[in-house]
Amino acid sequence: MRRFTDHPSRRAFLASMGAAGVAVGLGPAHAAAEDVLKKPIPASGERLPVIGMGSWITFNVGDDMELRAARCEVLQAFFDRGGAVIDSSPMYGSSEEVIGHCLKRIANKQALFAATKVWTPFKALGIRQMKASEKLWGVKRFDLMQIHNLLDWEAHMETLVEWKAKGRIRYIGVTTSHGERHEEMAKVMATQPIDFVQLTYNLLDREAESRLLPLAAERRLAVIANRPFRRGELFALFARKPLPEWAREFDCANWAQFFLKFIVSHPAVTCAIPATTRVDHMHENMGAAQGRLPDPDTRKRMVRYVEGL
Amino acid sequence: MATLSRMLPFSADVFFRLFEQYNAAIWPAQVAAYGLGLLLVALALKQRPGGSRIVAGGLAVFWLWTGIVYHMAFFAKINFMAWAFGALFSCQGLLFLWSGAFRGRLRFRFTRTLHGWVGLAFAVFAMAGYPLAGWLAGHGWPRTPVFGVAPCPTTIFTLGMLLLAEPRAPIGPMLIPALWSLVGGAAALLLAIPEDLALPFAAATGLVLALAKNRRAALAATPGSGGPRQA
Repeated sequence: MRRFTDHPSRRAFLASMGAAGVAVGLGPAHAAAEDVLKKPIPASGERLPVIGMGSWITFNVGDDMELRAARCEVLQAFFDRGGAVIDSSPMYGSSEEVIGHCLKRIANKQALFAATKVWTPFKALGIRQMKASEKLWGVKRFDLMQIHNLLDWEAHMETLVEWKAKGRIRYIGVTTSHGERHEEMAKVMATQPIDFVQLTYNLLDREAESRLLPLAAERRLAVIANRPFRRGELFALFARKPLPEWAREFDCANWAQFFLKFIVSHPAVTCAIPATTRVDHMHENMGAAQGRLPDPDTRKRMVRYVEGL
Repeated sequence: MATLSRMLPFSADVFFRLFEQYNAAIWPAQVAAYGLGLLLVALALKQRPGGSRIVAGGLAVFWLWTGIVYHMAFFAKINFMAWAFGALFSCQGLLFLWSGAFRGRLRFRFTRTLHGWVGLAFAVFAMAGYPLAGWLAGHGWPRTPVFGVAPCPTTIFTLGMLLLAEPRAPIGPMLIPALWSLVGGAAALLLAIPEDLALPFAAATGLVLALAKNRRAALAATPGSGGPRQA
C-alpha cells in the first residue's frame, strides 16, 4: 500500500488551515447551510464550500423526465445544504443539459459556482463547445472553465486567457483523473496562468500528495478533488466495516463523511466533488462540509485504519 | 476494461430506461423486425431465387436502422461515442447492401454441418433466447434490447447468418460485428447485463468456425487434396 507522505505537524496543520481561512465550526453534523466550511480560492480570496458536486454518470439521464425530476431534487438538496460548486463536462453525455434543466426549476441557487470543461481537439472546436455549454447550462458565463484531461491544452489555453481577460469566464483550470499525466500536469501548473487544478485524490489514491498538491500550494492554485469515493469503490470496500468510534472527534457520522473529510482536510485541497443520484446521499455528503476536520495525526490514523481493514 | 469504464458515462438503469423510451417510440417496428428476421431464416433454410439478396438486404436494413435510429437518434443522448458506433453500423449496413443485395456476392444456405447448426442456433438465440435471458435478468419488455432494432441481438443474429454463407464464410462482413462484440461484451461486464455476455462468445465461436470452414473449402478446392476431381 502507498504510504501517507504529507507529514506536517499538528501545529503546522492548524496554522495552514488558519492561513487557508477554513472556518472550522464545532456545530453538529447537520448544522445550517450558513455554517458550511469554506476555503478560499488562492487567486482571489473568494470562498467556496469544501463540498461541491460532480455530475459524471449521475446527471446523464437523457430525456427521461422522471429521472430529471429526481436529479432536480438532488440539486435542490445540494443548494439547501449550502453547496455551490457544480462540475461537469461535455464528455458526460446529457449531464450539462440536465443540470441546465434543473437549474431552471429549483430555488435558492444563487450560490452557484458553475464549472465545466472544454474537451475536444482544436481551438475552434473548443470555442464552439464552450458556447454550447453556456446554452446547455443556461448561464451567461462560467465561473470556472477547465481543460479536460489536458486535451489540446495549448490551443485552449489561448482562448481561456482571452476569455478571462474579457470577463467571459472568471477562472481557468486544468484537469486530470485516475492519477494519470501528472508529469504534464505539473508542467502546466508550473508555467501556465491558471487558477485551479482538478485531480484524483481520495483515501486510497494519494499519489497527488507527493508532488501535485505541494506544487498547487506553492503556485497558489485552488484544488478540486475528483473521484472522492473512487466511483463508489470505497463504499464497496469499507461500508460494511465499522466506522471507528474516534470519527466522532471530527464530527463524522458516516463513511461518506469519513472519506470526504479526509480529502478536504488536506491543506492544499479547496473542495471535493462527490456525485450522487440520491437526496439522502447528498445530505450525507454535505454533512462533511460541517463541523470539525481531522488534524494531521488523525489523517494518518484514518489511512492506517482503512488500510488495516 | 478500465479504459472502457471511463468511457461509459451512464448507469445500467439509465441504459435500460433509454431502451424503454426507444421501444415505445419505434413501436411497432419491433414486430416488423421479427417478421423480417423469420423471413431471412426461412430463406436461408429453403432456397428461393434471389433469396440470398433478400437476406443481405434484410441484414442491411437491421444494421442501417440500428446505426441511424438507435445509435444516432437515441443512444447519442447519453453516450458521446454513439455517433461513431452509428457510423460503424451504417458502414456494415451499406456493406450488406452493396456486396450482398446489389452484387449478389453473399449466398446464404443452411447445411447440416457444425457451422450450419451453430449459425442457426445463433439466429434463434438472438430472436428468442436473448429476450428470455434479459427477462430472467430483470430487464424484460419494454426495457429489453430487441432483435433487429438494437445492436447486441442484431449482432448475434448477423454472426449466425454469416456462418450460413456458402461456399465460404465471408470474414470481412464479420469484422464490425466482432468489434461490436468486444465493445458490447465489455459493457455487459461493467453494467451487469448477462445476456450480452453471449456477444464475445458468438464472435469468437463464429470467427473460429468461419476460418475452419474456409480452410476446409480451400483444401477441397486444391487438386490432389482429396477435393472434387477436375474432369
